[in-house]
Amino acid sequence: MAIITKDTPVGAELPVFARRFRNEMFAMGDVKTIHNDDAAAQREGLPRAVAVGPQVAALIFRMMRTCFEEGWIVGGKVALTFRRPVWSNDFATARGVITDTEVEDDGVRMICDVWIERADGEKAIVGTCSALVAGD
Amino acid sequence: MTEGTQSRVEFDEHGKRTTYDEIEVGRDLGSLEWVITEEDIEKQCSIDEDFHPWFSFDLEEQEGTEVGPWDGVIAPPQIQYRPPRWLLSRTYNIRGVFYKWDYENLKPIRPGETITVTGRILDKWIDREREFMSYEAEGRDEEGDIVFRTTRVHALDVLKRDTPRAGAGEDSGFKQEKI
Repeated sequence: MAIITKDTPVGAELPVFARRFRNEMFAMGDVKTIHNDDAAAQREGLPRAVAVGPQVAALIFRMMRTCFEEGWIVGGKVALTFRRPVWSNDFATARGVITDTEVEDDGVRMICDVWIERADGEKAIVGTCSALVAGD
Repeated sequence: MTEGTQSRVEFDEHGKRTTYDEIEVGRDLGSLEWVITEEDIEKQCSIDEDFHPWFSFDLEEQEGTEVGPWDGVIAPPQIQYRPPRWLLSRTYNIRGVFYKWDYENLKPIRPGETITVTGRILDKWIDREREFMSYEAEGRDEEGDIVFRTTRVHALDVLKRDTPRAGAGEDSGFKQEKI
C-alpha cells in the first residue's frame, strides 16, 4: 500500500533512504574506470573515483516506489541534475518533499522536490519526481 | 590538479574519443532490441539495493503467492538506464560525466519481453567553457506501446574545452551491452 495518498499535504516530507557506497561495489573485473580507480578518474579531470550516477539516483527511485508503489511503476516521472559527484566511498542520503499536486485523467499527480546529500551535506543530485495516486 | 597541467583524453581502448564538432544534432542513433532476463532484474535490484516482492522470482515461484498487481514479476523502472546508453555508444565514443537524466515510466518492464529502443541526438552546447550534448530515446514493447521515454545530458569532459586533447584514458564510455 502506498504511503502517500491524495490527502497527503503539500509540504510533507518523504521517508529518508540512505546508503554507504564502497569502491569495490563498482569493480568491473580488471577494468579500471572513473568509478573504481582514482588514477582513471584523475586522468579525466576528477579528483578521485566517483560513484555511478544512476546507482546513486536509485536511492531516490526507491524512495518514490516506496511512497507511491503502482503510481510510480506506471506514471512515474523523473527530472534530475547531477550537479556534484558522489564519491565511490561516500555516504548518500535521499530526501524529498511534496511541493504540488495536479489532477490528471488517471488520478492525482504528486510532485516532489528530491535530492541526494553527500556525507559532507552537499546536494549532489537535485530535481523533481512525480507519481500518481488514486483520485476521488 | 590544475587544468593547466592536464590534457583531455584523446583516445581510450575503444578508439578515438568523439569531439564536440563531430556530434551531429538530429542524428538518428538507430535501434536495438533488448530482452530483459531474470538475471538482469536480479542484478539491477542487487546493484541498487532495491528489493521488492514485485521484483522477486523467488516469491513468484512459491505456489499461491500473490506478489503484486502486475501478473508476474516486473523490473525496477530504472533498469532502462543502460540500453539508451548502449545505443549512444554504438555511434559515439563519449565518456564524460552524466549531467541530467529525465525519464517517464509508462508501462511495467517485464522479463522475457523484447523492447525496441530507438534514439536521436537532440542538441549540443557550450556552457561555462564545457561541452554538453543531449539525446533522447524511447523503448517500445512488442505491441508497439511506449514503455519508457528518456532524455539525457552528458558533459563531454570534466575539463574545460580549451584544455588540449592528448593521450590515452583508462576508462571508456563504451561498455559491454549487459545490465
